[in-house]
Amino acid sequence: MDVLVLCAKTAVACLLIVAGGAKLSDPASFASTVRPFIPLRVAWRLLWAIAVGVSLAELAVGLASLTLPAVTALNIVVLAVACAFVAVSALGYAFHRGRSCRCFGALFQRKFTAAGVLRSAFIATIAALALGHAGAAALRLDVTARVLLFAAAGLLALVAFTAARARGPGREPEPEAVAQ
Amino acid sequence: MKVPLYLAVAQWTLLFAFGLLLIVVYRQLGRMLHKDDAATPLGPALGSKAASLEYHRFADDTVQYVTPGDGQPTLLAFVEPTCPSCEQLVLALGTAAHAGELSGLRVLLLTSSPKSYLKVSDAFRATRLECGRILAPSATQAYGATSTPLLVAIDRDGVVRAAAPAIRLAEVRTFSRACLLPPEAESIPITAAARQHENDLEAATPAAGAD
Repeated sequence: MDVLVLCAKTAVACLLIVAGGAKLSDPASFASTVRPFIPLRVAWRLLWAIAVGVSLAELAVGLASLTLPAVTALNIVVLAVACAFVAVSALGYAFHRGRSCRCFGALFQRKFTAAGVLRSAFIATIAALALGHAGAAALRLDVTARVLLFAAAGLLALVAFTAARARGPGREPEPEAVAQ
Repeated sequence: MKVPLYLAVAQWTLLFAFGLLLIVVYRQLGRMLHKDDAATPLGPALGSKAASLEYHRFADDTVQYVTPGDGQPTLLAFVEPTCPSCEQLVLALGTAAHAGELSGLRVLLLTSSPKSYLKVSDAFRATRLECGRILAPSATQAYGATSTPLLVAIDRDGVVRAAAPAIRLAEVRTFSRACLLPPEAESIPITAAARQHENDLEAATPAAGAD
């Protein structure tokens, strides 16, 4: 049982890290996804800031959840984030069906579909599973292990950022490198 | 020394995540290496329904949506500020707009570059035409804008009536006419011969071609 709970916990944390890192590679595109969910007409800069904020929040929650496994409150935060995913997917499916959700930036071209809602519900289920009890001994990490885990998680975010940047044509080209 | 269970599980999960990202990058690399540019058609197919798109309008920093078929004929110009041919197209569009030849059309200059890049080009800096950055990469793909400049004429029903690289005023005029074609009329294939014909006409009337 411990293995299952820990697998669920680390899987959702990694998912948040990858999603946050990938979204940060092209905040402009993610901002255009955020736009329809805000009923007010807001300035582009504010939309961009919201997009970056959401991406950073995802990344921070993922990093914290992975490197501080003993803090059980983080599991609840992760579950809340997963539930927010379900809500956004459902709203997107209801009102913006077929539009790109950019849940993972340019890494995967997911759209607001019924399958997307199910996927989000599946992630929420895994996050709920991570709330299960795991033995204290299994979660005991020394400082070195924490630092190494943090470094690995940071590297994962960087790889996701780079991979999404390589896939997304929306990246900002250097003036000399623009295709003629 | 006994490794905590959490650390072991986290290591395997991280390894799995890295592997997944490696596959994504590998697939993208494979796609780039095997891309056959010659076989990739430039621009959308004539007669096809134009895709909707969203862009960041530079003038007021807002996100705008274009839904072809909303009753307004549209002329889309896919351009980049650092592309000399695109500058020529922007100047030609500006001249046509100034002469009132694009009245009734929604004319959009679409780029993949950020707003700050407009300063590298005098033509882009000075143009009064609406200019913005395409936000969804899928829109660029849907329009087959694999190189710039690309001009796409869309009629009021959202049907692509002409699509081709263009830089001259005469070509802009052809495209503006294509936007206003009635539904029953055939789309205009912009061929080299047609361009030559238009260019000859322009040469015969030098005053009309002057910027």
